[in-house]
Amino acid sequence: MNPVEVTLPGGVIALIIATTTIAVLWWMMHPPASSIQRMAAEAESELKSLVGSIIVVFSPEIASAHMMALAAKLARGERSALTAIYVIEVPYTLPPDAEMPEEERLALDALGTAETIAQKNDVDLSTEVLKSRSTSQAVLDYAKSQKANIIILGSYREGKYTGAPLSRTIEFIAANAKCDVLIGVEGKHGTLLVDETGQATGTGSAEPRT
Amino acid sequence: MSLNKKPELRRSVTPWGSFAWGYSDVGADIFVGLGLVLASAAGASNVAFLFAGIVYVCIGLAYTELAATYPVAGGGQYFVTRGLGDVFGFVAGWAVLLDFTIDVALFAWASVDYLGQLITPFDSALHPWTHFIVVIVLIAALCFLNVVGVRESTAFQGFVSALDVISETLILCFGFLFAFRPDLLVHTMQTAWPNPFHLMQGISLAIVSFVGLESIAQAAEETQRPASIIPRTSVSLILTILIFALSYSNLALGMQTWHSLHDAHGHAIAFWQLFPTSSDNQGKAVALLAEQVPYYGWLAARYVPLLGAVLLLISSNSGVFGSSRIAYAMSSANLLPSTFKRVHARYRTPVISILVFTGLAAFETLFAALPTLAPAAHAFYARLFHGEDGIAFLGDLYAFGAATSYSFVFLALIALRLKEPLAPRKFKMPFNIPLVFRGERAEFPVIGVIGFIGIVSILAFTLATHDIGRVAGPSWLVVGIVLYMLYRRNKRLPIFGSAPRDWRTEQVDILRHSGELELMDEYVANVKASDARKRLSSGT
Repeated sequence: MNPVEVTLPGGVIALIIATTTIAVLWWMMHPPASSIQRMAAEAESELKSLVGSIIVVFSPEIASAHMMALAAKLARGERSALTAIYVIEVPYTLPPDAEMPEEERLALDALGTAETIAQKNDVDLSTEVLKSRSTSQAVLDYAKSQKANIIILGSYREGKYTGAPLSRTIEFIAANAKCDVLIGVEGKHGTLLVDETGQATGTGSAEPRT
Repeated sequence: MSLNKKPELRRSVTPWGSFAWGYSDVGADIFVGLGLVLASAAGASNVAFLFAGIVYVCIGLAYTELAATYPVAGGGQYFVTRGLGDVFGFVAGWAVLLDFTIDVALFAWASVDYLGQLITPFDSALHPWTHFIVVIVLIAALCFLNVVGVRESTAFQGFVSALDVISETLILCFGFLFAFRPDLLVHTMQTAWPNPFHLMQGISLAIVSFVGLESIAQAAEETQRPASIIPRTSVSLILTILIFALSYSNLALGMQTWHSLHDAHGHAIAFWQLFPTSSDNQGKAVALLAEQVPYYGWLAARYVPLLGAVLLLISSNSGVFGSSRIAYAMSSANLLPSTFKRVHARYRTPVISILVFTGLAAFETLFAALPTLAPAAHAFYARLFHGEDGIAFLGDLYAFGAATSYSFVFLALIALRLKEPLAPRKFKMPFNIPLVFRGERAEFPVIGVIGFIGIVSILAFTLATHDIGRVAGPSWLVVGIVLYMLYRRNKRLPIFGSAPRDWRTEQVDILRHSGELELMDEYVANVKASDARKRLSSGT
């Protein structure tokens, strides 16, 4: 092997080659954003703060199972805190803490379904059963106490038959909430949510789009 | 929604993807060009690279401006058709087609040369028949893969490019730090300065190290936000390749090798002296240099030949892919018969284009290899072509095709600056002279003229110093022009004129499809303002 000799010009050239190459490639990889990219980034950053805490609302008159799947997917993507609540409306004829076994049984079913969906989507879910004189006020108070970023709820159970999917309760929540409200109305053919195979996962019947 | 909407290429190429696309083509050139230039220009190799490098920068800036302004597949051929008309577009495209077929042959050849560093039976000097057969098998395999529609993934291309950039930077840094002697560089330049003939030959071959910017233009249609991304990737590619080429040539001339080198008679020789007498060494110059770099050379000797072989093979594949793509684009523009855009019923690939141009590449390989395969052919080549053969022949034609198409691209750039001043140019070559042309403010590109003079002089050097290139290159063009004229007459299209096209509408479509909506708005506003001015001045 020949002896190795380090020269000053050689060292300087080596340094210039390394720094110039790195600088050029760094500059290349950081182009300025276009206006649509800036808008998209702003919308995305808003979304991040928006979905920090998600509440999904169930009640005897609000069907939200199909929205639970969407909420779980959203929570997983954004690592949000996800809570499912079931509100039992206690009539004025009964005391506020009256036992209502039939409604409580329905609550267990609804929240059990929500937990299954959450597990399937690999997200943590906390559940709660609320009793209140007014479903809408209970949802608003709970959202306020939890500093929720978004309330997700489905449509009025009888909406399909009456042709009015938003009950007064839902409208009241949407009108008075201090955060965003996402209302999922099942389409005529129930194709709001589809799984990987293209099959509808909602409760409605799936018919091919024409 | 319209049911018969034309399928469009998906814009999925990122900044690094765009860079890698060009780098896997241009970056491979130095693996071939370095040895060829050292063999011809000897002590002036760095000057040859500098001259070609200056022209290359001009070419790069021209391509950058054009690809960012007109981000469509088709590259040089499209720019020339748009700027100068159909017949010149055909000539430029036909020259690029020659380049792509040479690309296939030359890089498959060099890829096997690099593999020969690790696998002795592939060594062209020791086993010319094995070497030739392996090259032909590689070309056939690339042809098959392209016919069935398999292409290396962009991710693989990006990985190989990244590995190569890192490797070359390390080779050069270690080389300059531990093996570079400025006094040896000066001594070599003084004592081994070539005569003008060899210097011109060296310059014409040095341009080989810079061919392939076409690839970035080709990828423009698939690049995200091309008007913004392509200028950055092009300029980065230009600078990276320029740094590597100039550094390699200076290091090769002023290198104190790690191990002593000897010629066939046992005399000690300098590194650059490995090349003038051995075409085998010319094909694997970077690997030979890498193993002479102190410390890092131990590692480099084990993987740089393989890295070089892979990069060269990717480049060879880009030749197969590029030739079929250019032929398809030319056929769509009525510059070539529609046969070339016929796609295979099952694989949906332009099978005839692929077969024709890889077949041509195989023929070129045979022509280049003949003197080493058959002694009788060697005597014939020696008499007719002054012994020029093999990789040098392929290098000649590569330089000829590139210089011809680049010359037309410079003319197209100047023409488009004058004809289409309203098209927004997100990147513009520096040093322009403002003027008014046909009532519109335009800018005349000074660097375009300098680049044109530079590339025409390289074309002249190629024709003056290469016996085969002088005959084969122009013959290719003449045959092409005759076929073009027959085809256009048969199709009842203007032979020397251009078929009518609505370039304004096309430009709006191009910008809309490329996602450059701000530029589209700017273009539409420019056109409206121009039309209003013209109406006002004509009093209507």
